[in-house]
Amino acid sequence: MTIFTFVFKRFFRKKSNIVFLFVLPIGSVFIPTAAWPPIPLGFHYYSLLLLLLAARLGGITLEDRTNKTLLRLSASPISHFQYLFQNLLAYTVILTVVNLVFVFLGVIVHGENLPSPILLFIIYTVFSMTALGFSLAWYSLFRHMETAFSILGGVIVLMGMLGGVMWPVEAMPEYLQQAVMLLPTYWAAESTLIVAYGTQAKDLGTPLVVMILFCIAFLLLGSRRRLT
Amino acid sequence: MAIVHMKDIVKRYSSHIVLDNIDLDIAYGEILGLLGPNGAGKTTLIHALAGIHGFDSGAIEVFGKEQKANLLEIKRQIGLVTQEITLFTDLTAKENLAFFGGVYGLKGEKLKKRIDETLEFVGLSEHARKLPAKFSGGMKRRLNIACALVHRPKFLIMDEPTVGIDPQSRNHILETIRQLNQQGTTILYTTHYIEEIQNLASRVVIMDQGHIIANGTIDELVKKIQYEEKIKLEVAAPTDDLLERLRKLDGVKQVLKNEKEIHIISQVESGNLDRVLSIAREFGGIHSISAEKPTLEDVFLTLTGKRLRDGGEEE
Repeated sequence: MTIFTFVFKRFFRKKSNIVFLFVLPIGSVFIPTAAWPPIPLGFHYYSLLLLLLAARLGGITLEDRTNKTLLRLSASPISHFQYLFQNLLAYTVILTVVNLVFVFLGVIVHGENLPSPILLFIIYTVFSMTALGFSLAWYSLFRHMETAFSILGGVIVLMGMLGGVMWPVEAMPEYLQQAVMLLPTYWAAESTLIVAYGTQAKDLGTPLVVMILFCIAFLLLGSRRRLT
Repeated sequence: MAIVHMKDIVKRYSSHIVLDNIDLDIAYGEILGLLGPNGAGKTTLIHALAGIHGFDSGAIEVFGKEQKANLLEIKRQIGLVTQEITLFTDLTAKENLAFFGGVYGLKGEKLKKRIDETLEFVGLSEHARKLPAKFSGGMKRRLNIACALVHRPKFLIMDEPTVGIDPQSRNHILETIRQLNQQGTTILYTTHYIEEIQNLASRVVIMDQGHIIANGTIDELVKKIQYEEKIKLEVAAPTDDLLERLRKLDGVKQVLKNEKEIHIISQVESGNLDRVLSIAREFGGIHSISAEKPTLEDVFLTLTGKRLRDGGEEE
């Protein structure tokens, strides 16, 4: 678990990373509830924020490839899948702490207006893994950080719009409503709405399983590319 | 006995053949110098050997084991010093070694001991807690080597480990390599500095356009291209009598005079050096005498038609 351990060392060495991790989530706690959905808006948009945070975290893997550190790693007895998996685990731990702080602050700020904080925490933690898997797979496709990050920003916004984070999926044409189920953001939004509308917790099973499957698929996709 | 046995290795990038039926053995305990112009296929060969990239056909055995079937086990005993400085810039020297030691399975006290020993070995003990960004080029190179040594590999692959550093650091690194070899590490060494190969390598392989075009000790390679012997004699007064005597020696093809210098060109292995010296003594006034042998650089130039440090595309 060397890679797992060193992810923490490397990440927290840059103080700006810590600021980045907490400033946006803390800020979004204070966004009030709007007409839709029946949950403080920051908690609905949080899946997009997680994608953005994961993009920042996963960027280190692209840096490692561009400066060829991964070339050396590829000569060691470590596979690309192991490398990505240990990165994913470490970043999941980091984002889980962020999620915990976010939900905890939400309870303080919104009190009973925030439905089922524990379920929200579970959803965010599972989606954190999906977002990190997506980020790691994304960066494995690029050679340059600037290109990867700038395109990713647009893709995240697009995923948010189509996935039912910005507005209800039902507002879109019917053929799109089926297609957007292929987006991980759809399942994040869906699960948040299940909690917001007070539907039974067991209904969260499918979205959570789909998000985990997305994570696995992204990891497998990312590991298809060689370390170098 | 061979630590590495490569047989008929072929590697293509689409229709371009980068390694064309490469056969190569590396003996236990030797330093094998690998030379070739840019684009010769050296880095591809090294990457295939280190298990970084696959190959299209052929077989590689390392430590007597088939590479594809035993890749992880083989990788644990190989060290790779990359051409680029491949360090984590956000980790200190000690942490870099801890990372690379860790991925090779070292932990606890054993890892700590190895880190200390390795830093001592490359002369960076006093800089253990510094970030590589604060290092000079030579120190970065030494740390780059240290990261490949921390797990004590039996076989070390060094891909141009001294690029862009000052002579003092280069000498330090070359001395380190000699010590490693004396301790039993087998080394495959590539460089663009031919004098490094001359100083270090027990055997030289020259590659060009995906082929091995020469393989042997430096003396063996020099003999391959040596068609004549040259002796340079410098005397106080090169008289016509002296020139005439030299021309009459067995095997002498040509005698040329250039002010006080006389150049005697003979057939290979004519053994004329002693005879030239005794004739020159009769005439007296010898300033110097030397036999000019082809160098490894001449061998390289003759075989590839290129100078080793010619410009061109990197592989």
